[in-house]
Amino acid sequence: MKRLGYHRTTASFCLFLALPVALFVTFYIYPIISTLCLSLYDWDGISPKGTFIGLRNYFTLFGQARFYHALLNNLQWLFFLIFIPTALGLALAAMLDRGMRGESFFRVVFFLPFTIPAVAVAAIWRWMYEPTHGLVTSFLEVIGLASWAQNWLGDPKIVNYALMGAMLWWTTGFAFLVFFAGLRNLPIECIEAARLEGANAWQIFWRVSFPLLWPSTIVVLGMASIDAMRLFDIVWATTSGGPAYASEVLATQMYDVAFGRLEMGRASAISVCLFVISGAFIMPYIRYLSNQVQENAS
Amino acid sequence: MGLRVKIKSIWEESFMKSAALRWLGATLGLFVSTNVALADRSPEVWHYFAAGSELAAINGLMEYSNKIHADTPVIGRAIPGNVVELRRQLQTAFLGGNPPAVYQSAMGYELKTFVDGGRLRPIDDVWAAAKGEEIFPKGVQRVVKVGGKLWGIPVDISIINNIFYNKAIFEKYGIEPPRDWAQLVAACKKLRDNGIEPLGDASGPFWSLYNFYAPLLASAGKDGYYAIAQGKVSFKGPEFRKALETYRDTLVVNYAKNWSGKTWTQTADDVINGHTGMFMMGVWVSAYFKEHGWQPGKDFDFFPAPGTDNSVLIQMDVFAEPAGPDKTVATARNFMTAAASVEGQVAFNVPKGALAPNLKVDPSIYDYTGQRTLQQLKNAETSDSVLPNLFFLLPTKLGTELGVQIEKFAIDPSAGTEESVMETLEALRLELAEQNAFVKW
Repeated sequence: MKRLGYHRTTASFCLFLALPVALFVTFYIYPIISTLCLSLYDWDGISPKGTFIGLRNYFTLFGQARFYHALLNNLQWLFFLIFIPTALGLALAAMLDRGMRGESFFRVVFFLPFTIPAVAVAAIWRWMYEPTHGLVTSFLEVIGLASWAQNWLGDPKIVNYALMGAMLWWTTGFAFLVFFAGLRNLPIECIEAARLEGANAWQIFWRVSFPLLWPSTIVVLGMASIDAMRLFDIVWATTSGGPAYASEVLATQMYDVAFGRLEMGRASAISVCLFVISGAFIMPYIRYLSNQVQENAS
Repeated sequence: MGLRVKIKSIWEESFMKSAALRWLGATLGLFVSTNVALADRSPEVWHYFAAGSELAAINGLMEYSNKIHADTPVIGRAIPGNVVELRRQLQTAFLGGNPPAVYQSAMGYELKTFVDGGRLRPIDDVWAAAKGEEIFPKGVQRVVKVGGKLWGIPVDISIINNIFYNKAIFEKYGIEPPRDWAQLVAACKKLRDNGIEPLGDASGPFWSLYNFYAPLLASAGKDGYYAIAQGKVSFKGPEFRKALETYRDTLVVNYAKNWSGKTWTQTADDVINGHTGMFMMGVWVSAYFKEHGWQPGKDFDFFPAPGTDNSVLIQMDVFAEPAGPDKTVATARNFMTAAASVEGQVAFNVPKGALAPNLKVDPSIYDYTGQRTLQQLKNAETSDSVLPNLFFLLPTKLGTELGVQIEKFAIDPSAGTEESVMETLEALRLELAEQNAFVKW
C-alpha cells in the first residue's frame, strides 16, 4: 500500500513536471544545441540547407578585430554595471533609509525609469543626446558649460560612455529597490547596539549595515553581470552598434551578422562564444544562489 | 483510519486524472483554435512602411487592389524597422512554412539571395501582362531580373543624388546652386564664413555612402560603377582612391559639426531651422520638409550632386512573391498586377512623395519635386544612366561593410583610415570573388 502510494505520488510529480520540463527542453535546451550545430555550417538563413564547414566560423571570428572590439565593449559594460549603478543605487537607498520627508515620492522617482521599456529609453536618450539642440547640450549651454558639450552618440571615443549614462539612469532604480528593501529588513538590534557603542553613521553603515546587505548585493551584482553580457536593446535602438562599430557589443554584432549580412553560421558562432564567456562570469553567481537554496532547505 | 486513507488516495488519484485530462484538453483546444485562427487569416502583404506618408502609401495601394480584386483581398502587416528586420521575420516565416502572400523587398542582390534560396516565385506572367518592358526604365528592369527571370514589381523610385538646400539662406548670401565640385566647395565656404554649417550628413551605414556615390561616379564613370558592382574593380585601385579623396576634399570637409551624432530627420530639422544650408539625401526628405510646413520650390529646392550630371542614382522598393502555399498565388498575382498598374502606382506614390517606376503615370500627379525628379529620371533613361543603389548591387555583406567603412572614413578622413578602409573592403572583395558571389547586372 505504501509502495502504491509512493508510485502515485511520484506519478503525480512527473505529470505536473512534464509540461515545464517539455517547455524548458523545447525553448532552452534545444535552441542551444541547435545553435551549436548551426555554428558549424555556412548558411544564409534563406536557403533550405547550409554547407558544413566545421570550425571555420570560429577561426574566422577569432581572426577578426571586430569580434575582440565587441568583446572588449562587453567587458567595459560589465565593469560599469557591476560598480556604478550598484554604488549609486546603494547610495540612494541609504539616503532614503534615514526616514526623510517625501520618501514615497523619491522612491517612485528613483524606480520609475526602470519601468520604461528599453526602446523608449533609447528614443528618449537619442533625442536628449542630439549634439546641437538636445537637452543635454542645451542644459550645458544654459549653465555656462557649453565647452563640455560633445558629439555624444557620434564620437567613437565617447559613444559608449554616453550609452552608459543612459543605462545608469535606466537601471539604477533596480539596485535602489533591492538595497532599499534590504536595508528595511536589517535587524534593528544590530544597528541599535552599534549606536549604543558610539559608532557614527558612516561606521554603522560600513561595518554593520553593508555586510548584512550581502544577500541584496549578490542579487544586484548577479543581475548586473547578466545584463552586461546580454546587452542588446539599448545599444541597437540608439546607435545600432555605431558609429562604425564603436559601440558594438557581441549581441548586436550577432544580430548584424545574422540578419544584416545573412551569415547565420558565423552569428551562431558569436552566440556560442557569448554563451561560454557569459557562463564564465555568471556561473559563480548561479552556484552561490544554489548553495544558498540548499543551505536554507537543510 | 485505513478506510479514510484509502478514500483519500482514491480521491487524489481521480482528482489527478481529471486534472491531467483537463490540462490536456485545454492544450489541445488552444492548439486547434490557434490553427483555425491562422487558417482564417487573409493573405498578408508584409512591409516596413510603418508610419506617416509611407503607411498612407501602402494603405492606398492595398485599398485600390482590394477594390478591383474584391475576391482576393489582402491585409498589410507592418514590420517595424527596415530591410534587416523584414528579413528576420521572413526567415522565421519560411522556416515555419507560412510566408506572406507578398512582401516588400529591396532590389538587386536582396532579391537574388531569396531566389538562390528557392524562396521566391518568378512573376514573368505578371510582368508580361503589365508590359513591364515598356513601362519600367531599363535600369529598373536590370535589378529585378535574376537568372533571366523576373522576380519583383517595382513600386517606387527615390532619387538619392540630389542636394537639397534652404532657399532663404542661399538667397540671403547670394549663392547659386552649384554645378560642379569647385562651385560646391565655394558655396560651402561662403556658408561657413557666414556662420552656417554648409552640408548635413547623418549617422548610419547608408547616408554617407549615398553621398559617396557622386565622387565615385565622377571617378569611375558609369561603366566603372557597374564594374565595381560586379567585383571587377579593386578597392585599392586608383579609381576608388580618387573617389575617396574627392569625397573627402569636397563633401567630408564641409559636413556640419557633429553630423555623426544625428539621425537624418535631425539633420533635416537643422536645414529647416537654418542651422545647416544643404543636405544630400534621398527625395524622401522632400516629403519630410513638406510635413513640417515647407513648400518645394519656395522654401527649399535641390540640384544634382556634381559628378552625377546626366545620371540618376536610385533607391527602389519592389514587391516580391514568396514560394508559399498555392492558396495565396492568385491573391499575390492580383495584388502585384494592381501594384504595377498606373492607378496602383498613383495610389502609392502620391502620398509617399516618391516617383512611380511606371513611366506611363501622368506627371501631373507630382508636386514640384516630383516633376523635377521625373525629368531627371527621363533624361537619364535616354542614355541608360539610371543607376541602382550600389549597396543592393553588391553581395549583401560587402554592401553593408562598404556603408560602415565609408561612414568610418567620413568621421575620420585621415590617411590611416583611408588605407584601412581600402584594405578591409579589398579583402572582402577577394573573398567574395573566390566564392563567385558577384553578379553581372
